[in-house]
Amino acid sequence: MPAVQFDHIDKSFGAVAALRDVSFSIEAGEAHAIVGENGAGKSTLLKILAGGLHPDRGELRIGGAPVVLTGARDALARGIGLVHQEMLAFPNLTVTANIFAGRELTARFGWLREDTMRDRARDLLARLHLSVSPDALVAALPVAYRQLLQVARALAFDCRTLALDEPTTSLTAAETDHLFRILDDLKRSGVTIIYVSHRLPEVFRLCDRITALRDGRHVATFARDRVSADDVVTAMVGRSIPARAARPDVRATAQVRLRLEGFTSIPCFEEISLSIAPGEIVGLFGLVGSGRTELLETIVGLRHADRGTLVVVDRDDRADRRLQFRSPRAAARAGVVLVPEDRQRQGLFFNLSLRHNLVLPSAEARRAVLVRDAERRITADLLRGWRITASSIDATPGQLSGGNQQKVVLSKWLALQPRVLLLDEPTKGVDVGAKYEIHGVIREMAAGGAACLMVSSDLPEVLALADRILVMREGRIRGEVAAAGADEERVMRLAT
Amino acid sequence: MKRLWELREVSTIAILACEVLFFTWYLWPVGGRSHPFFNIANALLILKYSSIYGIAAIGAAIVIISGGIDLSPGAVIALSGVVAGVLFVDRHWSLASSAIAGLLTGVGCGLLTATLVVLVRLPPFIATLGVMGIARGAAFIITEGRYFDVSGELPPGFRLLGVPLDWTSPILMVILALVFQVLMTRFQWGRAIFAVGGNETAALFSGVRVGFVHTSVYLVAAVLAALSGIALAVVQGQGKADLAMGYELDIIASAVVGGASLAGGRGSVIGAVLGALIFGVLRNALPQIPGATFYDRLIVGLVVIVIVVVDQLLEGRKRSVQ
Repeated sequence: MPAVQFDHIDKSFGAVAALRDVSFSIEAGEAHAIVGENGAGKSTLLKILAGGLHPDRGELRIGGAPVVLTGARDALARGIGLVHQEMLAFPNLTVTANIFAGRELTARFGWLREDTMRDRARDLLARLHLSVSPDALVAALPVAYRQLLQVARALAFDCRTLALDEPTTSLTAAETDHLFRILDDLKRSGVTIIYVSHRLPEVFRLCDRITALRDGRHVATFARDRVSADDVVTAMVGRSIPARAARPDVRATAQVRLRLEGFTSIPCFEEISLSIAPGEIVGLFGLVGSGRTELLETIVGLRHADRGTLVVVDRDDRADRRLQFRSPRAAARAGVVLVPEDRQRQGLFFNLSLRHNLVLPSAEARRAVLVRDAERRITADLLRGWRITASSIDATPGQLSGGNQQKVVLSKWLALQPRVLLLDEPTKGVDVGAKYEIHGVIREMAAGGAACLMVSSDLPEVLALADRILVMREGRIRGEVAAAGADEERVMRLAT
Repeated sequence: MKRLWELREVSTIAILACEVLFFTWYLWPVGGRSHPFFNIANALLILKYSSIYGIAAIGAAIVIISGGIDLSPGAVIALSGVVAGVLFVDRHWSLASSAIAGLLTGVGCGLLTATLVVLVRLPPFIATLGVMGIARGAAFIITEGRYFDVSGELPPGFRLLGVPLDWTSPILMVILALVFQVLMTRFQWGRAIFAVGGNETAALFSGVRVGFVHTSVYLVAAVLAALSGIALAVVQGQGKADLAMGYELDIIASAVVGGASLAGGRGSVIGAVLGALIFGVLRNALPQIPGATFYDRLIVGLVVIVIVVVDQLLEGRKRSVQ
């Protein structure tokens, strides 16, 4: 009998369909992977399983019986534990309190049975080979432990089904190994594991069957032994990865637009040296926590640099040497702009119209006074030129789809015609169509002479877009790979 | 297990002790007269006045630990005091039933705040700002600006359950502080409040009943404020609408000085009561220093800032050591 069965599940958020008619089942005791690109619907599916979301249509069956989950409590009571992608922990509480949060063991009137919980926690930590005290404050633990605590939590409630959402994104290689040993143990003891990831090597190592989702639809469910990684990738992507666009060999010019020498900010990154030519797109690949985002933020002055040199060649071909920019404003005035990772938090003003969103940064950087007519004209040009679908220039970003929002974040800087473009996850959470449009824009900017440094966790994207790839791990550049002829495995080996 | 001197409450006690020592030394009388600050009668006076703040500060600490804020306790103190006073003096209700009516007023205010925060989803700052205005306004409407002399109605030498009237509110404060300290640290309810204040999203995903936690927290805070309002009316003999003006800020300051973090997830009920005592001593002793009259608010303000800054520094060092 299947442990979990999804039966014709539909789920939409506003106009965006996250899941469309998804049906498949997960057998008891198996390890089942769910793979797909960003936005394929993996996380939505897990949230439905954990009671956080209700399907619009269709049925969720647990142990064969249709259920309507009322929330996380209910899912946990039915033996389904979810390990979230986000670090969901209570830093202000102890390890024991974290493991039992929301389901404390209590005597009458809710009196906490602290000693029993502490003993149980100690056993669980031993079972997970974690050497921490049950009384330790979680704020004082390494971040990776917070994820393992979620596993401990699921075990504390005797979950027979454990669902993990991208659990290794922020773990080091050693920590990932540790997690996998635990998962192997659990699998042997008969726990059903649902493993959501886009890292195929991990999926092939752990899972018996693999389900691929694409754009909210179920594409196929494979048995591991009868499928190759290529087949899974093709199912995820729905197309073979397009051939790289032929581009002039920019390295031949030997010019340099941006150079870093021994750039260091302890503890995020150390001794970073790189140079980028005008028109070149350099991919900066690394796992979360490798220091990539911090590097970009330090260049524009959002973080403090300890030592090193930053050289930007300005419009008159003068090399401008400094430690770092004083602020993003100073960087923008020198033609260096950062397109940040988190558009919700760092990229957009949701209270302002598109007009204000698009014109604000360039006006700030040029110390220009905003003139309404010019502003409207520029905005209208940007919306048209970028094919941003919006009802009017007075719409607010909240009314746009994720892809269009990201285009707004990009274009508000590009209106400045930057000389150095720092891109942090430029296509995170956008649909495939918008992704290719954004790629086109980045190529266009490079063709116009901008030096681009692009951070992305999306390896196929880096391979398709970059001229060469720098791989970062634990705050240092571990290698450089020319994109032509690079393969996923080689880059991954450097990164992990 | 935490060692004794690592407890946050211990450092608050130390601050209080230093303060008492300082004023005892500074106000030491010349030539054999009795000490104006360090004597039993004055201690009782400090306790009696501080307990009004202290009882409400218990509620404020709980709200702040849950990640919220409550601006309404001053107004709720006034309203419940007025309700109890009107019923007792004008309508000649018994003392017990007047007090219960006052408490129910608090329940009403708490439920209103909880509804606004949980169901209407107003930010707590706005919701309690509104309730503050409503409660204060209701108190003025009920009294029409009059004044109720509750103590005039009580027989001289009146004892409540065998306790002299002056002692009741300090004793009430101590009992409530102990009860809520245990509830907050040893019961599931308190653990859930710390969890919601520490990370509300995680609490939701962990199956903590977040809505229930918010509701209970504002309800408890309002009921405690109502209790201190009744104490103010009965023990100090006053029931009028402009009582306890601006108390909300002193009450919040007490909780913060006692270790509550406005970011949520951290704080202590006993600490809040000790914080109220720290301010009570200041308010009592400063006017006794010649020439300090105009400086006392300024000194109170500085004390808040210094204590919180030192606390942040210590906390930061503790984290980096670990």
